Amino acid sequence: MWSTFRRYARIYGVQIKNNFVREAVYRTNFLTSLAVDIVWMVIELSFFSILYANTPVLMGWTKPQVYFFLGIFFASDALFTTFFQRNFWQFSDLVNKGELDILLTKPVHPVFLALSRWINLTNILNFIVGMVIAVRFAPAAGFLGGWHWLTVAAWLAFGVISALLIRFAFSIWVFWTERSWAISRLYYQFFHFASLPDTLFPKMIRYLLLTLVPVAFIGSVPARAILHGLEPSEYALLAGVLTFFFVANGLLWHAGLRRYQSVSS
Amino acid sequence: MSLGVLGWRWAALRNGLQDATAYRIEFLFEFLGSAFVPAAVQWIVWYALFQLGGATTVAGMTYVDMIQYTLMSVLFTQIRGGDQDFELQEMIRTGGLSNYLLRPVGVVEFVFIRGLAPKLFIAGFCLVIGFAISLFFPFSALRMLGAMLLALMGNIIHYQLGAALSTVAFYWEEAFAMLMVKNLIVSLLSGEKIPLNLIPEAYSWIWKSTPFYLYVFAPTQFALGRSSITQFAGELLLSLVWVVACWGLIRLTWGLSIKRYLSLGG
Amino acid sequence: MGSLGLLLKPEIQTHNALTDVSFEIEAGSFTGLIGANGAGKTTLLKILSGLIPPSSGEALVLDENPFKRSMSFRRQISLVMGQKAQLWWDLPAVDAFDLLQAIFEIPKKTYQERLTTLTELLDVTRLLNTQIRRLSLGERMKMELIGALLHWPKIIFLDEPTIGLDILAAHKLREFLKVFNHKEKATIILTSHNMDDIERLCSRVIILRAGKTIYDGTPTGLTNEGERRLRVRLMQTPTLAELCQITGLPAERIELQKIGNEEASEKNEGESETPIQPTHDSVLFSIGQEQIVGVLQALMGRVQIIDMGIEQQSLEHVIQKLYSEERASV
Repeated sequence: MWSTFRRYARIYGVQIKNNFVREAVYRTNFLTSLAVDIVWMVIELSFFSILYANTPVLMGWTKPQVYFFLGIFFASDALFTTFFQRNFWQFSDLVNKGELDILLTKPVHPVFLALSRWINLTNILNFIVGMVIAVRFAPAAGFLGGWHWLTVAAWLAFGVISALLIRFAFSIWVFWTERSWAISRLYYQFFHFASLPDTLFPKMIRYLLLTLVPVAFIGSVPARAILHGLEPSEYALLAGVLTFFFVANGLLWHAGLRRYQSVSS
Repeated sequence: MSLGVLGWRWAALRNGLQDATAYRIEFLFEFLGSAFVPAAVQWIVWYALFQLGGATTVAGMTYVDMIQYTLMSVLFTQIRGGDQDFELQEMIRTGGLSNYLLRPVGVVEFVFIRGLAPKLFIAGFCLVIGFAISLFFPFSALRMLGAMLLALMGNIIHYQLGAALSTVAFYWEEAFAMLMVKNLIVSLLSGEKIPLNLIPEAYSWIWKSTPFYLYVFAPTQFALGRSSITQFAGELLLSLVWVVACWGLIRLTWGLSIKRYLSLGG
Repeated sequence: MGSLGLLLKPEIQTHNALTDVSFEIEAGSFTGLIGANGAGKTTLLKILSGLIPPSSGEALVLDENPFKRSMSFRRQISLVMGQKAQLWWDLPAVDAFDLLQAIFEIPKKTYQERLTTLTELLDVTRLLNTQIRRLSLGERMKMELIGALLHWPKIIFLDEPTIGLDILAAHKLREFLKVFNHKEKATIILTSHNMDDIERLCSRVIILRAGKTIYDGTPTGLTNEGERRLRVRLMQTPTLAELCQITGLPAERIELQKIGNEEASEKNEGESETPIQPTHDSVLFSIGQEQIVGVLQALMGRVQIIDMGIEQQSLEHVIQKLYSEERASV
């Protein structure tokens, strides 16, 4: 067990090193992609500042609270972008061009290899930007500070894991459809909903965003949890939904692999 | 087959439409997804503001005004530029451009026309929806037609700016980020997320100084009867000025960078 | 080293890429797998490397069911596909090798030794720190091979390793494979469309046609079955039908070659005794040794022969014929 963990850690270490080498070569590309994300953040912040220019409170959320939420959301998303984003972009190539064959013959779990190939280290800067925004508006948003910052780390991890599981569930269909980008795009369409605090939504949609397409887990739920904690029933919901996604993804992966094997003969 | 100057343009248009609709289900998916989500996001915000938050007017607009804006703006958001400029920068980046330079067609125009085809198709479809709505609501069908014309002008400007920006790829290897930034700014300043009159008066110069509001906000306002004929005429004229100016910009940027491209050995 | 046994006997089905294939391969041997596109070569390689299960029948590699893809199995095999790269486009090869070292847990010292050996054998030591995308196709393939061999696999599956390579690069690659097979006693199974690969490397060749083994033996056995190519130049060239009638041979055994096409199709020109001036079309008869005299007599009775020569069948030609028979039979 421990030796397996050490082996995987070592492989991940080499992947990080390799991606670092790559980024050093293509520095401008990575800096410009950083710039794109920063512009995206500015646009999201402007959107809410325009809304708050017209109203002092939006569904019980004050302006600093929404900014705090956005900070957490940006940070969580930046972590996902750093470690996973590009792997999912390449996922359909992996399957459709048959590169998965190579991964399957390696003595490592293929999902691990598929999701650790591309790491965008430059994007850590966006994580910092997100955290700066969160910290800047934390006092005004009513954040207690102190040891509560520890919960921030846990909730960020929760956000990233959620994004990973949801994105995976949207990507896995590549085994069945050749042009899977349509479904991947659907993910990004739903992702727009993640940029609003979930309490804003009408009941039915909100329910959807907390269960079937739980994009609210990426930023909104963590921000709410950090600010004022959750109801016990909500913790159960989170655990249940994530477990469901984990199991479903596992089943879909195996079914997909079977499909891949029957098609590729 | 001799259609004269129309020859390859007509072929490109047809080819573009076939290409976009080859996978019908996904074409529909794409269309519905890009129409539904922005509208839903808008509606949710208005719902939270008015229904749950209890506001009666925001920036002089009622809940009904907002919903009308949302629904109408979706029609024009569909028309605003596609991603052909990304295609251009990809061609420059990968060197695929060289194939086109050998053909007797203007590559910038060729890519535009190919991408325009599905947009025209969608524009026709949206127009039909608009006309249908105008039967039941106090909207003028004529205004709808004019608004669609303005939106199509916006489509041209959007592409032209993208084409000019994509020449950055000649120097920096890619212009992807540049085009993404442009699209992000457009998403806010075109009015597809919110009616631009929500932006405080003190900052209105920001959106008024870009052509982006001509894509969605101006057509929507005109179609809903919220702007006057003279205002519309002014906007149409302004869009014409932008098109001409952008045409000059493309001539300049492409002229300079193609020379460089060729001198570097293509 | 342990032996490699393999048995495949799926029942006959029209949709299957493979229907009737059965063989065993000895450890340390070099086997070639050929067949036209769609004959089932790649499918067979995929079954053997554990990527897909046989729909029926059984495969046993290293005494294991390959499709279980046990960790120990994956550590002992290697799959190289000429058209699918595992190296990263934007990185120097050495970084990709670092990753493989971590994946296969190769001790640092062993890794260094192997890397030195392989890069020197393939003459790419100076290219280790060059981005893959800046390498030529041949250099890239060499790097792919090194990556596939770093863990010293017992079985190596090569799917068209020389595809797209120029003659010199293909030659170097072959030399290397030969040496590696010889020295390290690794079992190598290779598919290729290039008959030079098969002729120079494989001690055994298996030919697949429409999912069935149609030949299994040494490459020389294919060409030495008494088959000869009789080349005749005639004063007036009759039509194919007339030639059939004259000689009594079926049409597929006769090949008309127009002037100008010769160089391309004639591989053994250097071996024939007197170089022939190509002033007339020539006719090629693929016939058994014992038929030569009969055919010549029949011809002389009807047309004027300028010149003639007898050649051995080249492997390429034999294979070509096998493939065209397949087309005829479908």
